[in-house]
Amino acid sequence: MARDHDSDAKGAGSDHSEKATETASSLSRERGRTVRNTIERRGIVGLAVATIALLLGIFYYPVATVFIDSVLVDGRLTGRVFISILQDPFYFGEPARLLAGEPIASVIEGVLSPDRRLGVIGFTAYQAALSTVASVALGLPAAYLLARYEFPGRRTLRSLTILPFVLPSIMVGVGFVATFGRNGTFNAVIGVLGLGQVDLLFTLEAVVIAHAFYNAPLVARVTTAAWESVDASAVETARSLGASPFRAFRDVVAPQLYPSVLMGAALTFVFTFSTFPIVLALGGFQLATVEVFVYRLIRDLEYAEAAALALIELGISLGLLYAYLRYEAKHTVRSRGIRPLPRRSLTPPSFSVRELLPRMGLAVYALVALAVFIAPIASMIVASFSGPEGLTLANYQFLIDRQTTGASFQVQPWDAVRNSLLFGVASLVVALPMGVVVAVLTTRDYRGRKLVDAVAMAPLAVSGIVVGLGLLRGLVFGVEVGGSRFAVGGGLAIVAAHAVAGYPFVVRTVAPGLEGVDHTLVESARALGAPRARALLDIELPLVWPAVIAGAAFAFAISIGEFSATIVLASGTNQFTMPIAIERFIGRRLGPATAMGVVLLVVTSASFLLIDRLGGDDVGF
Amino acid sequence: MNRTGPPAVELDGVTRRYGETTAVDDLSLAVREGEFFTLVGPSGCGKTTTLRLIAGFEDPTQGEVRFSGESVTGVPPEDRDVGVVFQNYALFPHMTVGENVAYGLSFTDPPGGGSAEARVRELLELVDLGGMADRDPDTLSGGQQQRVAMARALAPGPDVLLLDEPMSALDAKLRERLRVQVREIQQELGITTIYVTHDQEEALAVSDRVAVMRDGTPEQVAPPRTIYREPATEFVATFVGDNNVLSGEVTAVRSTDAADADSGQTIADVTVDSTTLPVALEADSDLSSGDRLTFCVRPERLAVDADRNALTATVTSAEFLGETTRVHLDWDGRELLLRAEDPPTGTVTVGFAPTDAHIVDRRS
Repeated sequence: MARDHDSDAKGAGSDHSEKATETASSLSRERGRTVRNTIERRGIVGLAVATIALLLGIFYYPVATVFIDSVLVDGRLTGRVFISILQDPFYFGEPARLLAGEPIASVIEGVLSPDRRLGVIGFTAYQAALSTVASVALGLPAAYLLARYEFPGRRTLRSLTILPFVLPSIMVGVGFVATFGRNGTFNAVIGVLGLGQVDLLFTLEAVVIAHAFYNAPLVARVTTAAWESVDASAVETARSLGASPFRAFRDVVAPQLYPSVLMGAALTFVFTFSTFPIVLALGGFQLATVEVFVYRLIRDLEYAEAAALALIELGISLGLLYAYLRYEAKHTVRSRGIRPLPRRSLTPPSFSVRELLPRMGLAVYALVALAVFIAPIASMIVASFSGPEGLTLANYQFLIDRQTTGASFQVQPWDAVRNSLLFGVASLVVALPMGVVVAVLTTRDYRGRKLVDAVAMAPLAVSGIVVGLGLLRGLVFGVEVGGSRFAVGGGLAIVAAHAVAGYPFVVRTVAPGLEGVDHTLVESARALGAPRARALLDIELPLVWPAVIAGAAFAFAISIGEFSATIVLASGTNQFTMPIAIERFIGRRLGPATAMGVVLLVVTSASFLLIDRLGGDDVGF
Repeated sequence: MNRTGPPAVELDGVTRRYGETTAVDDLSLAVREGEFFTLVGPSGCGKTTTLRLIAGFEDPTQGEVRFSGESVTGVPPEDRDVGVVFQNYALFPHMTVGENVAYGLSFTDPPGGGSAEARVRELLELVDLGGMADRDPDTLSGGQQQRVAMARALAPGPDVLLLDEPMSALDAKLRERLRVQVREIQQELGITTIYVTHDQEEALAVSDRVAVMRDGTPEQVAPPRTIYREPATEFVATFVGDNNVLSGEVTAVRSTDAADADSGQTIADVTVDSTTLPVALEADSDLSSGDRLTFCVRPERLAVDADRNALTATVTSAEFLGETTRVHLDWDGRELLLRAEDPPTGTVTVGFAPTDAHIVDRRS
């Protein structure tokens, strides 16, 4: 073919033998290229297969064993465990009696009676609903502030809304204990004001506030994004047609915010429905949610009941998520804010009621936000440097002493730090390539993409407890393969659990980046001779590397803070991590717990800074 | 131009569907070796999809694409030896100009056996960008970026160059200059080139042959002059350049006698509304009375104050275009276009010679 337009002219004078050697050498070069080409061409398929195989091994297989545990009792297939949970008022409250076959009238009577039982699942839903209301109530004013006002530090504040994703929940628990405990900062402050003492610890209020700490920023984040994409000219058109500012907000702006508020609320409900470390730290067993009960059952070696309960919880969570996604698919309006609404200054331009009122409202909100968001972290830091005699380093000293003198069954602080870092790096090494491959797979068009997407993102919906239990039962206790037994060490299982927890975050950061890469760049590379995998390596990844780094920081931070799966897997081994160490300290020694919390805070904050610097705004939540 | 071998690029009954929509519909085309072939049509006519099918970015739902007689079904883009220039140029933003041009050379040896560096230099000089190798693409102007994209596509020595609206992001003057340059480079290399544009003027200016596309199929494939002078359909007649399209019923077919001004012509008298207009026919035309005929007359062929085929019309508006003026006329509720250097006003009589009418449709 006409590949050599120029060589025709140049090669015209060369004789036969020259041409022959030329051909031979170019042939061998051609062959070398073919081998490399084959690898590059099959590269993406190979990586995809490897990723899915890994996912099957460290997620689907373990979770499947949990399922089998719950229906296979003493080697016999049975639904007995499920049915007994569903019929037990202890779990399902009064409605369980309906399932147990009691007459409707007496059940209704039971529901209406003042001493009705919610059951564990009912209580879990109840606290999740309260937490959702609190999170939306705390999140919306923040969205209003961030979307509509200009002030120094607005951008920083906006990027801080991503922080809860990386803050270890057990550390937040410590912060809340340090704030709202009997000797906490909250009591100290109201004591100075002469308002007496309250003990919020081990109350529903504390749990709900802690959940709001976690989820209000999420609500604020998604709502702010929606608010910023409202086109100012749509509002101006409404005003010019005669709408008052309030009507314009109600008719034009609000309808564009509802889907996002609902998304924030739905995610909050699902997250708080499967809450675990917060309740463990702040509520104890008297406020136990489903997840805490599952953990307790595992500790009591009641695996079948634990598995069945976990699966019922998973079913409820997935059902809610599915309902939400159905709603989202129907109601998502993609409006491209060509010109966002202008931001107002926080200092009022005049002292009219109309200008002052919203700003005063924001000032009140700022006080509440200070108590909910800043106080726990600040209290934890203060508490870590406090002792009976005031300022002290004793708590940190304790960590060091315990390391050198502690008994082997006690938590060795340095081991916990070392394990956390080790597991963090190891799970990163697994999660990062997995996440990048899944991001590639889910941003390309092919048949079955939806299925791959669902299969790959399912781990986001499955609680750490279930993953941990699955890994424990499936891999740590060993699997029978062809007559020989394979068992995975506790440490490796923890790494697997962390990788499963972390890689969806890599996907969520990298996929929007890849989505944003102009497809003609890839097509140009391919037309120039690059196989698909080479185009990924040469063009796409260099263009999205900030997102890849941010994803890596995410995965690392998730690993560092992971609690649920780790505590299940760590119970049997001595593979303590920092969050586990905090949990062990928290009941008996708040001081060292807060000191450990500060160490954890430093590590996760560093990850957060990295995420923020490298494009955390693109995270697809 | 090699007219004896198999076509450089051939589409044989190619259909491409996206769900319910058919982007390309049973399309057959043959592009000759070394030809500058243009696909032109309004947006959504399937011209870009056709180009993507040739490049291998899309697979046909039905039919086959052949390069030099060989099917390329299942051959990925990287193995098709095509060079592609996109509308947005798609320069790799993280590479310098030189690295962009050199990228294709990491998968093949530079044609001519020289070094990759020499090839990059050669190509950049070809597009008048010598010495720009170390620049970042985003420091270049739109026209320069377009030429880098050309150089990059040509560097590995592709068999076929595919250009997808490469000029449409540039301003009018630059576009005219660059299209001449693109044509010159194409001629110099003798490379088979398939060019996609929605700009019919551009298509006529640079191409050896043009395919006017509509709804996924070509309405006419012909050299530019034929397209302009002898449009095959009413759509081609009105899409390429301005045109006046009239239809009516044939009331008589006659041969002119020697005394007539149109001596030796077969003439059909076509009654449009109540006006009878003589239209010249091909000698072997089998047209008969009662047939419906659609014909067109170019605005520049309408003459003011002509006495033949005279139509009395009113000037409704005029657009001054520089060398001429496009005059909009109202003739019995129909819009007519006229090109004139001195635009008339008020009521005007325009006419045309029977041989200036071109028949685009007939129905018996």
